Amino acid sequence: MTDPTVAPVLLIALPIVAAAVVLLAGLRWPRSGWPISLVALVLEGGLAAWLASAVFGDSGRLVHELGAYGRPGENEFAVGIELVADALSATMVGLIALIALSVLAVTRRAGPRGVPFYAAYLMLIGGLMGVSLTGDVFNLFVFLEITGIATYTLVASNRSAPAAVAALKYLIVGTTGASLYLLGVGYLLMATGTLNMADLAATLAGEPSFVDGPMYTDPLVLASFAFIATGLFVKAAIFPLHTWQPGAYDEAPDGVTVAISALVSTIGAYAFLRISLSVFTPAFFEATPIVATVIVTVASVSVVAGSALAVMQSRIKRTFAYSSVSQFGLVVLATGIALHPDAGASAAEAALIGAVIHLVGHAVVKGGLFTAAMGLALDSDARTIDDLAGLGRQSPVLSAAMALLGLTLVGVPPAVGFLGKWYIVIGAMNADLWPVAVVILLSTVLTLAYVARLFEQLYFTPAPSGDEAGAEAPADTSDDHAMAADGGNSADDGTEEHLSDPTPGAPFGVVAVAVGAAILAILLGFAGAEFADALEPFVTEVLGQ
Amino acid sequence: MSTVESLRPLLAVAISTVAIPLIVASYRRPNVRDSISVLTALGKFAIVASMLPAVLNGDEFRWSLGTYAPGVEFALRADPLGMLFALLSSLLWVFTAFYAIGYMRGLDEHSQTRFFAAFAGSLAAAVGIAFAENLLTIFVFYELLSVATYPLVAHDETDEARAAGRKYLLYTFFGGGVLVLGGTALVYVLAGTTTFGATAQGLSTADPTLAKAAFAMLAAGFGIKAGLMPAHSWLPDAMVAPTPVSGLLHAVAVVKAGAFGVARVILDVYGPDVVSDLGVGLPLAAVAAFTLLAASVIALRQDHLKRRLAYSTISQLSYIVLGLSLLGPTAITGGLLHIPAHAFMKLTLFFCAGIIHVETHTDYIPEMDGIGKRMPLTMTAFAIAAAGMAGIPLVAGFVSKWFLLVGAVQVNEAIFAVALLVSGVLNIAYFWPIVYGAFFESPDGADEKPLISGPLGGREGPRNIQLLKPAGSHGSHGESSGMGGALAGSSDGRDDPAPLEDGEYAVDRHPSDHAGDSATENDPAVAAESDDSVDVGDDSAGHDEETIADDHDDHADHAHHGGPGPDGWERRRWTGEESTWLLLGPILAVATGALVLGIVPYEAQFLELVEVIVEGVSA
Amino acid sequence: MTPLVDVLTSRYAYVLFALLLGIGLYMIVSSQNLVKKVIGLNLFQTALFLFFIASAYLAGGQAPIVHHGGKEATYVSPLPQVIVLTAIVVGIAVTAVALALLVRIYAEYGTLEEDVLREVRSDD
Repeated sequence: MTDPTVAPVLLIALPIVAAAVVLLAGLRWPRSGWPISLVALVLEGGLAAWLASAVFGDSGRLVHELGAYGRPGENEFAVGIELVADALSATMVGLIALIALSVLAVTRRAGPRGVPFYAAYLMLIGGLMGVSLTGDVFNLFVFLEITGIATYTLVASNRSAPAAVAALKYLIVGTTGASLYLLGVGYLLMATGTLNMADLAATLAGEPSFVDGPMYTDPLVLASFAFIATGLFVKAAIFPLHTWQPGAYDEAPDGVTVAISALVSTIGAYAFLRISLSVFTPAFFEATPIVATVIVTVASVSVVAGSALAVMQSRIKRTFAYSSVSQFGLVVLATGIALHPDAGASAAEAALIGAVIHLVGHAVVKGGLFTAAMGLALDSDARTIDDLAGLGRQSPVLSAAMALLGLTLVGVPPAVGFLGKWYIVIGAMNADLWPVAVVILLSTVLTLAYVARLFEQLYFTPAPSGDEAGAEAPADTSDDHAMAADGGNSADDGTEEHLSDPTPGAPFGVVAVAVGAAILAILLGFAGAEFADALEPFVTEVLGQ
Repeated sequence: MSTVESLRPLLAVAISTVAIPLIVASYRRPNVRDSISVLTALGKFAIVASMLPAVLNGDEFRWSLGTYAPGVEFALRADPLGMLFALLSSLLWVFTAFYAIGYMRGLDEHSQTRFFAAFAGSLAAAVGIAFAENLLTIFVFYELLSVATYPLVAHDETDEARAAGRKYLLYTFFGGGVLVLGGTALVYVLAGTTTFGATAQGLSTADPTLAKAAFAMLAAGFGIKAGLMPAHSWLPDAMVAPTPVSGLLHAVAVVKAGAFGVARVILDVYGPDVVSDLGVGLPLAAVAAFTLLAASVIALRQDHLKRRLAYSTISQLSYIVLGLSLLGPTAITGGLLHIPAHAFMKLTLFFCAGIIHVETHTDYIPEMDGIGKRMPLTMTAFAIAAAGMAGIPLVAGFVSKWFLLVGAVQVNEAIFAVALLVSGVLNIAYFWPIVYGAFFESPDGADEKPLISGPLGGREGPRNIQLLKPAGSHGSHGESSGMGGALAGSSDGRDDPAPLEDGEYAVDRHPSDHAGDSATENDPAVAAESDDSVDVGDDSAGHDEETIADDHDDHADHAHHGGPGPDGWERRRWTGEESTWLLLGPILAVATGALVLGIVPYEAQFLELVEVIVEGVSA
Repeated sequence: MTPLVDVLTSRYAYVLFALLLGIGLYMIVSSQNLVKKVIGLNLFQTALFLFFIASAYLAGGQAPIVHHGGKEATYVSPLPQVIVLTAIVVGIAVTAVALALLVRIYAEYGTLEEDVLREVRSDD
């Protein structure tokens, strides 16, 4: 078996190269975008599995030095960029690979198509992999921007003007955020002289000889954390820096929304987790207690405000977008608890595991919800919540998937939404952070407020024109449509526009992914022990000194 | 005292979970679907009952899925307290299944597949609650119960049903998802485990403030489902659901799950000793006592039968909580025994309310004068159950009440005994008029019911007590409250009714369009029927002469169609020709159960089970 | 007063950086014209570049290219320069995308003023 340390490089390089291949091949064969992407992402999945088996198996933490520059001396800083794969990175990589393939299945028939779309999509995946695997803070910025540019393009990819406006807003806000992050990196560079995450952690802790003592209380370091955190909060869409998200999610083509909702903000939250834990380390937060308090407060506000705003929405996609604000608030809240100086070892561990579980679980659930929403929009042109009336009968499978995923989001056990919350609440209580525990518990009811309307409309509101399709609808409308769609292969002319007929019905790919997401969400709910075990090395490395 | 690893607790839960897809799949064949419901109910009862002898001997059955979260397993354990609730729910589900089939077919309701599937799910969750081994597992099933019962509450798909469903979700998710989860997490943090029976040690040594807070959260969270005031108002609103659902909610599963949760918290999570050390038993008892009395008083003024029964449930559930929180062995016995006792009685009462609705579309008590003529067996069962509620000997309620009274005196809290006695009197006050009116009055000669019609606080000066005809005789009132009954529940002053001759009613003189009269007092379950013909299928004995009009299609509310009609009630004989046996059979069976429980409580296994529980707790 | 003058004379680069940052941010937030917002974004990013370069300034330093012979000298750290180069490229890419979006918006709505755009869009 070849050395698994090459896996991180391939994981990042493959999609980027594939994007170029798609563009080139598209000149000659315009409809080759999907097959090439499929091959690339399947290989990507294989690489992710290989990496996971190495990281969770024998190798533990993998480090690959790009260009093999190495370190000039024993205690010198790394010269080049390092790619690091530990338990957390491997989890994220697996998640990205899985969702990438799912989105490909979703967009096969219904989503945007065409060579530019696939090229941008592959770039997005490449950028996401890069963020997960990099061990260098500036490299993180670069990949964050790659992800960002790809996302701006994808949001605008249906070429409609509202989408362009939303994409522009996202661009401006997102780039400002990324630039703030860059400023923070600059301050760190000024303070320490290195950009490598491991070296930064050591330097900030005061280990190298040219530093006398830990630098945690240095105003430069504090300022850098503030800028970095702000920039990453923009990317993760934490209130009040979330303003780009609802427009971007709503106006983007449905297939794109599935991808970005599941992955892009997730990677922003992951980056925050990574930098706080691996670069600044809990020691920083102990030295500056105010920081953890601020994080926890801002996150709590985000949890409440996101739900409150979600309740007020009438369009389905905007509701889910604001819901993301709330859920990522929960993840950042958990991170804050894990970093809080009052948190003992068990509290921090519980909160951290909860943060990761919720990060992964939310990605699955939110992606599934948007997929189901896409399916319902294709079936019945349902865009607002009121449009959902009676769809429980017309589109039973999709409605069931949406209802199940909605329940998971609320936190009904035994699914993954509850599991994450349980860990986070235990962490909060163990750390004696009672107001935080109250916020987490209340988030259940707050989420229920907007999810309950979905159920009501789907199942307990009769369809408006009164034409119920009989007392019980036929078992699977979507299968019929899928067959029609497959039979209509010849009509596919490879343009990147939507299918031309108004409500062609949800293709099989969409339904399958929605159902699969629901099932996965429930199964993950039982995987608590597995998560805890898998993350154990990361947790001890980061928390248990 | 051995613990046997067995699949039986899992099977008891799983059998109706598996039934859900089967029911959904057989949506095109109602007979297959309904027999699946019945067979599942019988199967579940059989599995639960098979564990009873061993549990009475002191053994326990356990099944575990493994670690769910660190320190917490997802496990089911059949211990005596769990058997009590599981036995009760599964037994009553058998009867409810038959009854529900009869009811839904009788009204030709829509969405029956969803209904029966949700029913099966609710029972699975209820048995899961019963057999949960630790707080986390009980929380899981508690939430699933809320999810499974929501489609039942919102079944009618009208605005009112949706509003009731929303309220139900809000209350139960707040109670469950916020309070019970918080309490569970806190207990885990304090005691390191959530397994029932294993937490008392850690809780007794933990910080008392936190332990009290956890108790308050758990008690409040379970208490919301048990209808403790002030979180009780979801229950009367949920009466908009079809009657089998009300029966399920009140007697079989939901409120009992709340009371059961309180029992688990007091007996197994904290234990009576720790509860008395912390001093949280008395406040809970006070809340329960207040609820007892207040709910009984409110029940007096309800003129809608199901709402009156709802408040009666709120009151009676507090008997259970009161008994448990008094902490003495006798009191606990009373409280626990009241769980099955009340279940049998309340289910009978709800079944009666439902059958009255199916047969005569009567929902309001003032319209029920003389209905004993039309529905003799039903009202007899009603009378038996009502007697039990008041604590009359020979019916189940007496036994549990006896224990409660003795128990209250034993722990030197005689004031609660007084409260119980007052409540008994109030019970008589709100049930007796119904029974009396049914058998001993006729629609023409009914007395006025001042508790309902009179203004709050009484009236000065001499009153005119008039003989009033029930159906719309308040010509001058017109459709003041949309009720067909003469005795509107409003508290503004009464006008003198116009004297009417036989056969001439306000509905004839002032035929109204009922479009604007969708006041809250109308029974929307009636209003929301999608198919309006009263079709009872094959069992049509004695149905040919319906006293009510069959054309409900154009009317937004149906209250005017309730009541006896121009010629009074039709007489039916006592041989069961008043309705179908699908409806009557369960009523009589459950009423008989109430009697059996009252006459031979030990032989009926429940009291023996309770004693085993109390012995185990006091040990 | 003197400390302020001190800062202004000795660390004027940073003062300029802060000023440009503020101007850029202000343009992003308050300009009505979308093109000006993009210009503001660029200004914001340019301020950052200035910061990096200024912070890497070494009096008497040499470009970090070692001629053969390996002369001993004071070399400037190449890291900030690399960062700035990369960031410039990123900034260009972002600006290109932004301008493409602006072209699309103009083609559809005929305006690049934010207030007019809001009006026009609300009629959508």
